[in-house]
This record gives sequence, structure tokens and C-alpha cells, in this order.
Amino acid sequence: MPLLEISGLTQRFGGLQALTDFSFQLEEHGLVGLIGPNGAGKTTVFNIISGFYKPTEGNIVFNGRRVNGLRPHQITALGIARTFQNIRLWNDMAVLDNIRLARYAWLGYNFWDAIFRTKRYYRQEKTIEDRACEVLEMMGLANYAGELPKNLPYGLQRRVELARALASKPRLLLLDEPAAGLSSADADDLIRFIRWIHDEFKLSVWMIEHQMKVVMNLCQHITVLDFGRVIAAGTPEEIRNNHDVIKAYLGDDTL
Amino acid sequence: MQRYAINILLCAAALVLVVIAHAEMLDKYVLNIIMLIGINCIFAASLNLVNGYMGEFSCGHGGFMCVGAYAGSLLSVAFFADSKLFGAALFAPQLAPFLFPLVLLGAVLVAALAGLLVALPSFKTRDDYLAIITIAANYIIISLIENIDAIGGPRGFSGMKKTVNAMSDLVDLPWMLMWTLLGVLACVMVIRRLMSSTYGKGVSAVCQNEVATEMMGINTNRVKIMAFMVSSGLGGLAGVLYAHVYGYVNAQSFSLLKSTEGLVMVYLGGMGSISGVLMAAVVFTLLIELLRFIIPWFNGTFHDTIIPWLNDVLHKLNLLSADDRLHTDYQLDQIWTWVIIPLMLILLMRFRSEGFLGNRELTHVFPRLKHWVTLK
Repeated sequence: MPLLEISGLTQRFGGLQALTDFSFQLEEHGLVGLIGPNGAGKTTVFNIISGFYKPTEGNIVFNGRRVNGLRPHQITALGIARTFQNIRLWNDMAVLDNIRLARYAWLGYNFWDAIFRTKRYYRQEKTIEDRACEVLEMMGLANYAGELPKNLPYGLQRRVELARALASKPRLLLLDEPAAGLSSADADDLIRFIRWIHDEFKLSVWMIEHQMKVVMNLCQHITVLDFGRVIAAGTPEEIRNNHDVIKAYLGDDTL
Repeated sequence: MQRYAINILLCAAALVLVVIAHAEMLDKYVLNIIMLIGINCIFAASLNLVNGYMGEFSCGHGGFMCVGAYAGSLLSVAFFADSKLFGAALFAPQLAPFLFPLVLLGAVLVAALAGLLVALPSFKTRDDYLAIITIAANYIIISLIENIDAIGGPRGFSGMKKTVNAMSDLVDLPWMLMWTLLGVLACVMVIRRLMSSTYGKGVSAVCQNEVATEMMGINTNRVKIMAFMVSSGLGGLAGVLYAHVYGYVNAQSFSLLKSTEGLVMVYLGGMGSISGVLMAAVVFTLLIELLRFIIPWFNGTFHDTIIPWLNDVLHKLNLLSADDRLHTDYQLDQIWTWVIIPLMLILLMRFRSEGFLGNRELTHVFPRLKHWVTLK
């Protein structure tokens, strides 16, 4: 059974059809890519999966459970975490707090525990804190635990966002342009980093990416979107030589 | 021991206050002001949870204070006073000191429920639009209460003094001062503990990036309900204490003007700073009381000194003929408080929009304080 199974996904915004009949299957422990020109509908796919939009038509089954129609926080609790194209961190909270909040769906204590500082509160906060520190340690961010994200350089902010997504122990990680704004050398690091995450955390990764180097290096399978439709799917080799893909990216050369 | 120095100092100060109030060394007026400061501390600190920590702009906090004041007053009268409304008292007056916490709790719960009036629309509405909803909620609450004739309507509601008297008849203590101090302590503890827990940090998360918050597995609707209910519940606590300190409530005392007072205190102290807001509540309450003296004093000076002096000058300069005199019957009165306070708000926003402390606590501004105080 695939981890994620999308069938016939269609999204209309008023008169605009952003996504047409999108179907996709993602196996457990896969590392796959979604590419396409600007405005092709890539982020829309991620926004639908993570519950930000309700799809007009279609079905999303994650881990044997239908998830479309659920609210974003419920979907995260089921094990889908994501990062954003433009970084969305809680900028006035220490990095450690950013990571701790990723465990919110598994707090294990309630309002009254927090007010009366019960044993359960201390126990759970300890677990959350340990887990957060562990993630920071693994991601090489331990030195920045007390910093505010807004004071960190861009590359580190991206990494904090990734750490936050991982802290929720996802089974599927959606990365929306992880290499955006990174230099070529940084992109090389990122490739190694994502591969390491993929093995270390034993999860599936689905990424949107514009830097071909990153996608071609990492992904076992790539889907290409253009104007909301799948125009090609296959291994990096197949995609590289696909005539429709070249046309979509570079324009029609038979003019 | 050193780490508890300030905590102990504050407790000692509270105890001394109670003792000198008990020995009747304090003027009744001064005592009332001290209690009012406490009530304003609760009122402002609770508003700060929504306006400061959650970053929403609630302008109707007075409404929740009103709900708390009336709910508490009704409970209090039903419990300990013979009234037309509820008939004979439910409990013997000797039970008053023990059952008064129930009155407080009841008021808090009812006010927290009233908070839903704002919390539910806040799911889909935010910023300016939510601010308008809060104003509307304030009006709804005031008008509703003003139009229920059974609880006095526009005439207000009284009878709570019986409860207070019942308490002092049993044991002669400055009860309301003690309840107010305890109320401030409870309010600060609740907010402090909430906001230092991961659970409560969800409130700041909503403020800083609502989309990310929802996407990272935090149920923002629940966070908003919680924040609004805690805020309005504690606002209700301020209300029920107010009602018992004065022994009389009137819905009109909790109109938008009251809500504005809360806003001034929050913005004066610094949004999202408990210590800042408490400082602001003290300063602001004292300022309003000082204006009670300053305005009549200035009125006197104006009529006795400034006008005659102006006449002299005008005569000397021959701008006014010898038998003409400037004079005015205009008397400066307390209405001017409400010119001065909003003017302060304007100046504050223009020259120090972050208030006393910004979103920092005193312990951040003076890190050395951390050695002297323990907050849990």
C-alpha cells in the first residue's frame, strides 16, 4: 500500500483551474520531486495535502486514511510536515521554542496542568524539551537554541524550519523549494543534508524545487506540472530528455 | 533564599498593607485607591493576554468586566442578602468569608463564557474586523444588562455591601483589600504560568505567524478560544472585585470608556509584558486620581491668578479699555480627564509606541533582577 495516494485532484479558484485531475502515488521511504514552471500549481498541491485548501474534487489517502477535508493541524498530527517557500518561523520566539511548539499536537497535558503545574506538566515539558534539544543537536543547531530566528542568517533560518518540521516526527516531509535563495555551494550541502535526513529519520520526502541540480541528484522519481496538468512523470533521466518538459520550460522552438 | 528576595518583599508589603489597613491607619479614600489599583492591574493584565500576547485588538474588555461584576453581584446577593429578586439569603452570613471564593469563581466562569461572544467570530475574523466585533460585543453586553429591569436596569444593582459586612462582622479584617491582593496574585500567576508553558506559547505563535501555527499542528481555533476565555474570565474577576469594593454596579461604568482605560494601560506598559502592564496600571490609576486634585486646583488658579494677570497685561498694553475686564464663568471640571487621557494615548503612540517596556519583562531590562526573584 502506498504511503500517500492522490487521485483525481482538481482545484478551482473561481474561474481559474489551478490543478486538473492530478493523481500520484508515493511509496514508503520514497524521495520524489515535483517540478514545473512558475504558476504551474506545485505549491497548490502541497497546500491541498497539508489542508490549507479544500480540493474541489479528488481524494487524498494518507497511510490508509482519507485526509482531504481535515484541518491542517489534524493532518500534521497524522504525520505530514512541511516547510514553506517563504520561510514561516515564529520570529520573536527562541529557536528552541520554535521546535518545542512543533510537539504541540502531542503535548500530553492540558490547560489546568499548565496553571497548577502538575507532575504531568513537568514530565511532559521535560519530554518535549529533550526531544527539541535532540533535534537541534542532530541538525547542528544546538548553538542557536536561545537565538531569535529573525537574527539568524537566511540559510540557518531554512534549517530551523526544517528542524521544526522534523520535530513533529513526520512520516512524510513536504519541502517547498528548500534550495530557494541558496548559492551553488550551499545547494551541494543541501543535497547531502536532505539525503541524510531521508535515511536518518526514515521518512518519505516530496520536494518542489527549481534548482535542477538538486532535483536530479536527489529524486528517484519526478513529476512535472504545467498549467495544473501533469505533463510528464518518471526517473530523472526520462524527465531530462522528455520533449514536453523541455518545451514547457524553454518554450516551443518550432515557432 | 536570595532568589526569593523580591517575592518575599512583595508578600511583606502586602501584609504590611493589610495590617495598617486593619489598624485603620489608612484613609478610606486611600484604601479605595489601593484596591482600585489592584483591580486595574487584573483588568489590564487580562486584556494584555489578547492584545499583547495574541496580537489581536480587543476594544471591548469592559464588557467582560461588566459580566463578571453583575454575575458576581447576583451570586453574592443571592447567597448572603434578603432581596426581592432572590428572596431570603441562601446561606447564613457567617459563611460569607468561606463562600466568597465561590462568588469570585462564578463570576469568572460566567465572564469566560461571555468571552465566547468574541472568541467564536475570531476563527475567521481578525485585526480591524475583530476589533469592531469586540466593540459590538461591549455594546451588546451593556445594553442587555441595562434593559433587564429585574437587576436594576439603568439604575444599577446593589446589595453586595451586605456580603462584605457579613465578612467583617465575623472577623474584623480588611476583607476586600485581601481578596483584591489575592486576585492580583492569582491573575499574574495564571498568565505567567500559561505564557511560560509550551501550551500557552501557542498564543504567541498565533500572533507571530498564524498560517505556520495552524500548519505546524496547533489547533488555532482552540488556542483563540482559550486565550479569549482566560482573558475575559480574569476581566470578570476584576469586575466582581470592583462590584464588592464599591457595593454598587452600573452597566454604564463598563462602557467603551472603561475598555479604553484598559487599552491605555496595556499600551502604556508595553504589549506582552506582565511587569510593564502592572506598572502602567499603578501609574495610570494614580494619575487619574491625581487629576481629581489637579483639575480643581488648576481651575482655581485659572480664575484667581491667570485671568487677573491677563487683564493686567492687556490693560498695560492698552489692548483693553480701563473699565473692560476679561472674565469667564467657565469652570474646568472632571470631563477634562477624558481630554487628557486620550491626549496621553496620542502622545504615547507618537513618541514611545512600545510603552514602558515593549514586549520585554523587567527581568530582561535589568538582568540582575533575576538573582532576586523567582517566577514560577
